[in-house]
Amino acid sequence: MAAWIIVASLIAALFIGVTTRTLARNRPDPELGGLPATPLERLGWIGLGVTAVLGLGLAVLVMFGGADGFFDDSPYRFVFWLLLYTGILVWFAAWYMAKRRYGAVVIDERDRAVLARSLSVESMLGLLSLVIWTIALTEAFADAGAIPLGYLQLLFWSTLIAGAFGRSAGVVLGYRRGIAVDA
Amino acid sequence: MPKAKIANTIRQLRFAHGEMTQQDLAGRVGCTRQTIIVLEKERYVPSLSLAFRIARVFNRPIEDIFELVEES
Repeated sequence: MAAWIIVASLIAALFIGVTTRTLARNRPDPELGGLPATPLERLGWIGLGVTAVLGLGLAVLVMFGGADGFFDDSPYRFVFWLLLYTGILVWFAAWYMAKRRYGAVVIDERDRAVLARSLSVESMLGLLSLVIWTIALTEAFADAGAIPLGYLQLLFWSTLIAGAFGRSAGVVLGYRRGIAVDA
Repeated sequence: MPKAKIANTIRQLRFAHGEMTQQDLAGRVGCTRQTIIVLEKERYVPSLSLAFRIARVFNRPIEDIFELVEES
């Protein structure tokens, strides 16, 4: 299974790389240069950072401990839960600070349009994660006929993280590309 | 159908109304300052409700502020 985990991690790293490159290519319109980021855009960047660290952290932990070892070994599990809860706390703290700073209007109609569009990136990455896991687990455990329980946890959390990463990337890309200006 | 865009006079109206700031206008119509900026640069078309709220702030009919400009 180690080979499949490495392949899956490489694919995840590839996606992080592609997303970073796409973001770099879609620089904000020069006409809007100097435009301060909206609260949602800032949250998008924070989400990108948190989910990238979580995803890579999870991949590293599993590479070193293996999926079975990961869930049998409490220090590995502890580090993972710590990463996960820290990420969630950072996200909520950023949201709370944005609300304090900007008052009632944190998200307006333009933000909602960007948010709605980002759903497609979230769905795409979530589905991709499921496809990778399905192929990897089928190939790895076809002979055994059963999948160790620990992999269900990995499947769930990695799909959740991939989706959240996609949502954040979609938000940041939405502001960089801009939304429809035609009537 | 020819391409069209929505032009607006928000910036001029803001200055005509005691040099109202973008932040003031944003607060009064319930959006972020960034949305007012992109509206003024005509990089974003507002919803009908936001357009009406802006018209109400400037006490003008909506068509005095927003205009459909068809590009040839």
